[in-house]
Amino acid sequence: MFAVIFIPNFSLQAVLRHEPESRARAVALVDPKLPKPILVQLTPAARACGVCEGLTPSQAMARCGELIIKPRSPAQEESATEILLQTAYAFSPGIEATAPGVCTIELKGLGFRFDDHALEPWAGKLAEVLAQFHLEAKVGLAATPELAWLAARAGNPVLALSISPEQETEEVVPAFPDENHGRTFESFPISALEPPSEILEILRRWGIQTIGELLALGKDNVAERLGPAVVELFNRVSPDSPRPLKLVAPAEEFAEQMEFENEVETVEPLLFALRRFVEQLSRRLELIYLVVAEFQLQLGLSSGLKYERVFKIPAPTGRIEILFRMLQTHLETVRTDSPIISLCLIAKPSQPESQQFGLFESTLRDPNQFAETLARLTALAGPDRAGTPESISGYKPDSFRMSVSGFRSHNEKTLLADGGTARHSARAAKSATNGTHGVTPPTIKGRSESDVGLRLRRFRPPLPSHIELRDGKPTLLRSHVFIGPITETRGPFYGSGNWWDVNKWAREEWDIETSDGSLFRIFRSSEGDFVEGVYD
Amino acid sequence: MPAANIIELRQLLAARFPGLRMKADALSAAKHAFWPTGLPQLDEPLRGGLARGALTEVTAEQHGSGSTLLLTALIHQALHENKFVGVIDGQDSLDVTQLGEDLSRLLWVRCRSAEEALKAADLLLRDGNLPLVLLDLVSNPAAQLRKIPATTWYRFQRLIEQTSTVCAIFTPRVMVAPAQARIALRSRFSLAALEREPGELLSELKVEIAEARHAGESGELESQFA
Repeated sequence: MFAVIFIPNFSLQAVLRHEPESRARAVALVDPKLPKPILVQLTPAARACGVCEGLTPSQAMARCGELIIKPRSPAQEESATEILLQTAYAFSPGIEATAPGVCTIELKGLGFRFDDHALEPWAGKLAEVLAQFHLEAKVGLAATPELAWLAARAGNPVLALSISPEQETEEVVPAFPDENHGRTFESFPISALEPPSEILEILRRWGIQTIGELLALGKDNVAERLGPAVVELFNRVSPDSPRPLKLVAPAEEFAEQMEFENEVETVEPLLFALRRFVEQLSRRLELIYLVVAEFQLQLGLSSGLKYERVFKIPAPTGRIEILFRMLQTHLETVRTDSPIISLCLIAKPSQPESQQFGLFESTLRDPNQFAETLARLTALAGPDRAGTPESISGYKPDSFRMSVSGFRSHNEKTLLADGGTARHSARAAKSATNGTHGVTPPTIKGRSESDVGLRLRRFRPPLPSHIELRDGKPTLLRSHVFIGPITETRGPFYGSGNWWDVNKWAREEWDIETSDGSLFRIFRSSEGDFVEGVYD
Repeated sequence: MPAANIIELRQLLAARFPGLRMKADALSAAKHAFWPTGLPQLDEPLRGGLARGALTEVTAEQHGSGSTLLLTALIHQALHENKFVGVIDGQDSLDVTQLGEDLSRLLWVRCRSAEEALKAADLLLRDGNLPLVLLDLVSNPAAQLRKIPATTWYRFQRLIEQTSTVCAIFTPRVMVAPAQARIALRSRFSLAALEREPGELLSELKVEIAEARHAGESGELESQFA
């Protein structure tokens, strides 16, 4: 038993998949690769306006002023083919990519019988799933791939062909004995077999109109008169020897792409298309019980350059709103040098996350929401101004770097910490071998940050000031934050580093108490005098 | 159907929108649990710590009163409890090098102005993922702070009152009108304090619970001095 999914006007449907509202309009598809561009596929509305295949665009426009002409898009056809195969694969593991827009499915092993009334609802569901991807499909069910193909073309949207009583074997129960469900292929017109035109003409002159009438003539008799070409027609409708399928597995890549007719300069049309892409990709993954773990966004620019960005989803999900918001938040901050001409969104699938947390471990309630908030904070404050601080080994005061807050789970953190310790030890051992200092020395000679009881509130950058010294000790401070005498001092603390490169620095630090009772940290360097912060 | 009087209107609204709150103190007092800070001089007068789902204002009117000491103590306490902490640094003044090694649960937003800090706070409070959000405006110039509309704080209050987020706002003067608790820092440390342990200094931190308004006791003011 076989099923064939047939998508009529496949190239046109592939192009209109992302603008389903246009399917009700008069739209025609032109193949720009043909020597003379002519219309190759049409919507019913276009046909109703008097347009037909083979016309040039200008001839078609003369007949229908409202006709929308679209170019054929191999990229979108490729995406539609992927959807077709992935959908079929979700229903049966034995699938064949028979032709563009045609997929044959082997039903063996799925537990169906010829007389199974569940077959038609099953095929109907297949068509419904494809309709979710804006692909109108017809499904045919029959004993052989060729008969199923005949049924698919006649389906509306599903047609299950039964086997005629003459061709029944004793073992085979007639399929769909109920007349409302089944129909035999003998009633199909002879043209459905797509015979060579000369043979079709001869058969018409003989008065042969249907396949049943052709079969009644007998294979040998007709072959004797019309040659071996007609044998092929008999073989196609023979239920006895179904051809083996060339089984394929659909690609595990989930991508949606579009080339814009007009250059896009604002974010709104981009978001409109992206929303549809996200919906489609999410549904495609949902079909095979997966969720989105990563998005790769590619924007083709009119200058020939390409903008690419990878979005890792903190907690893989299939929720369209969350996924779309993540892209939207980023795109609202993107500025490109030239307009956008193409858009591609690739989804990397993964299993839905299931994780057991520690008893005393707190986790983020909604990691995806947090990732979006973090993106907004980064857009607000700047890329290096929102995140988790990490200390940098070295002597220089206020040395740190910002990393993106992932807020990993405790287990992950432990693993990383172990690795970090190992690296740290290795580096420390190496430093010891080289005769240099360890990686966590006191920042300034005579002072250790952890020993300072009061915490420093820093001025970034340090405030330029003027410090007057008497007997080597600061006595007067002139700065933006304080002007007046210094009553008590602590220091000096000397520090220097990076003497081997251009970032070399040297400073003399003092902790001071001013006449108003404030406690400051000041320092002197080759660049002048500064107030580094206030103790608070 | 038009409501004949205010009672009917309230009943109609309550029926249509079950989550709607009619009165300022209608929120269940049970929702207001407290997060213990580990500092007895704060936890005891505040009935167990900083209120969840409410704003707490910490005012430090002068330098050296211990606002950074308290801020880092709260960060340490939260990190020690494996909690996520968001610190919105109004003037990029936090010295992270003195916070310790493992800051993987700390989100630090380094803002340039009070306006930027308020936008960041709005985002984080709306997010609702972080159990502790600290907004530090102590170093921001008075001119920036004067421009903050009072409605901002009410908006923040509305944002977190249905959550269990603890939000402490460090300011140089009293400015957060809907704060459930107001803590004034009155310490004055000398240069000798730099050579003492932070734990010792924290135990000597002078705080004044200037005003505490508890849920279900609207209008009641409490004053305690430590």
